Amino acid sequence: MSRTNTTAQEIPQEIERFNIIFRIQHILMFSTFLILSFTGWGLKYAYEPQGLSSIWIRIWGGAETAGLIHRIAGVTMLVDFIWHVLYLGYLFATKRMTIDLKTTVIPLPKDVFDVIKNFMYFLGLSKEKARFGKYSYAQKFDYWAVFWGMFIIGFSGYALAFPMQVSYIIPEFTTGWIWQLLGIMHSDEALLAIVFILFWHFYNEHLKPEVFPMSWIWITGKISTEKLKHHHPIEYEMLFPDEAKKDKKE
Amino acid sequence: MSYKKFLIFVAPLLFLSLFLPRDGFPQESANCLACHSAMKGRLETSGGRLIELNVDTDRFRTSVHGSLSCTDCHMRFSENPHSLPSAPVPSSVLSVSSKVSSKHTVDPVAAAACNNCHEDIYKKVLDSVHGRNITEKNKTDGALCLDCHGSPHYITRSTDPGSRVSRKNQVETCGKCHGDEKIIEKYSLEENVMESFEESFHGRKLHLGHMRAPVCSSCHNAHDIRTKDDPASPVFGKNKLETCGKCHKGANEKFIPAITHKPAGPIPHYAEIGLIFLTMGVFAFVVLHVLLEAFSDIRDAIFRKGREE
Repeated sequence: MSRTNTTAQEIPQEIERFNIIFRIQHILMFSTFLILSFTGWGLKYAYEPQGLSSIWIRIWGGAETAGLIHRIAGVTMLVDFIWHVLYLGYLFATKRMTIDLKTTVIPLPKDVFDVIKNFMYFLGLSKEKARFGKYSYAQKFDYWAVFWGMFIIGFSGYALAFPMQVSYIIPEFTTGWIWQLLGIMHSDEALLAIVFILFWHFYNEHLKPEVFPMSWIWITGKISTEKLKHHHPIEYEMLFPDEAKKDKKE
Repeated sequence: MSYKKFLIFVAPLLFLSLFLPRDGFPQESANCLACHSAMKGRLETSGGRLIELNVDTDRFRTSVHGSLSCTDCHMRFSENPHSLPSAPVPSSVLSVSSKVSSKHTVDPVAAAACNNCHEDIYKKVLDSVHGRNITEKNKTDGALCLDCHGSPHYITRSTDPGSRVSRKNQVETCGKCHGDEKIIEKYSLEENVMESFEESFHGRKLHLGHMRAPVCSSCHNAHDIRTKDDPASPVFGKNKLETCGKCHKGANEKFIPAITHKPAGPIPHYAEIGLIFLTMGVFAFVVLHVLLEAFSDIRDAIFRKGREE
C-alpha cells in the first residue's frame, strides 16, 4: 500500500442502507400486499368481467378459502406494520436513530421544491436534476403511502374481517353509516394502493432503465458508494465530507 | 341353448321392450301425455287466457311431481280425451281455490290442488304478504306457488341448481318482481333491493360461489314472507338479532345495521366522492411524473450523451 493513496477517510465499497429487520418487514409487507390484492380484486370486481372473477376466485380455492387467505394476509400485514412502528420507537428511544434533515424520511418543504425542480428538468426548462438526501421525494411518497394505506385500508379491513368484535367498540351514533363507510374506504383505497404500487413503485424500483429488473437493495440491504454518490449526493457528502470535497476540486 | 337360438328368441323381445311405457308412468298420465307431449302451442280459453298445451315428458318425469297422475291436480278432468271439466272436487281444495280464483282465473282448482300435499306451506303462503295480496286485496301480482317455483310439471328440489329457488337462481327469481319498477311503484316496495344486495358482501360472495352466503329467503323467509313493518317479519326491529344471529353468532344491535337495503347516507356518499378525487389526483400525478421522467431519460440518452454528472 503506497502512502500517496491514503486519504483522511477510507471509502467503503458499499454501505448498509436497510438492516435485516427493515428488509424482513419489507418482504412481509409486499408479499401480503400481493396476496391481498389478488384475493381482494376478485371480490371487488365480482360481477365483471363476466365470470372471470369466479374463475379467478376458484384458483384461490373458492370464495371461503380466498376469504380466509385474505384475512390471514391482512392480519399479518397489520402485525408487520405495528412491528415496524414499535421498532422505530425502539430505535429512537435507544438513540440508534435520530432525526437529521439530510437522512430523514419525514417530508420537508425541500421535497416540494425537488418535485418542481425535477419537473422543470423533465420539461427541459432546467439542466439540473434535484439532489437528494437519504430519501428522495419518490421514496418518501412510497413510504408514507403505506402509512396512509395501513390506517385507511388496514383498520377498515380489520373491522370488516372481525365485525362482531369491532361492533362492541364502535359508538352508537355511528352505526347507521359506519359499516358502509368502512366498506367504501377499504375497497376504494385498496384500488388506489394497487394503482400507486403498479405505476409509482414498479416504475421507480423496477422498470426505470437504471434499476431494471429491480433495485437489489430490498434483499442485500446494501448500496454501492458509487450509486449513493449518484442517487443520494447529499447523504454521500454528509457521510464522506473529505471525499466529496476532493471530487469537487477535480 | 345355442347362441344363435338364444338370439332368435331374445332379440325380438328386446325390440318389443322399446314399446313399453317408460319408467312406469301411472297409466292415466301416460294416456294424457300421449297427446300432450306431442301438442304444441297455446290454447285460448273463453276468458281470453292462454294455456300452454305441451308437457315435456322427460322433464316432467324427472321433476319431484313425476310420479303423480295428471288428475291428482287437474281434478276436474275425468274422461279421456277430456270433455268440459266437471268432475267433483273435495271441499278442502274448493275453499282454497275460491281464495286464489282472482289470480288463477283459468283453473283455480289445479292451483289449489297443491294444498292437498303441501297444506302447511299453502297456509303460510296465503297468510304471507304475497298471499294476502291475492286473498285480501284481490290483486293478481301476489306471488303464489307457480310464480316462484315455475311450472308444477317441472319443479325440482330447491337443492337442484336448475331450480328457480335454488341458491343459484333464487335472487333472480325474486328480482322478477322486486326489481320490476312497475311493481315497485305500484306497491311502494323498497327500492334498489336487488342492486343493494348485489353490491353487498353477501351478494358478491354468493355470486362467487360462497357456500354459506345468504340468499333472499335466508333473511326474509321463504313461504312465510312478511313486510318489514310486520312484527312477525324476521327483519322487523329486534327480530334481526335472531335472524343475523343464525350465521353471525352473537349479533348485537350495533352489528345488525351492517347489512341493509337502504341506500348509503350522506357520510359514506361524500367520503366515496372524496376518495375518488384523491385516487384520480394521485393517479394523475404518478402517471404524469413517470411518463415525463421516462421521456426525459430517452431524451438524455439520445441528445445529452456523456453529460451525466
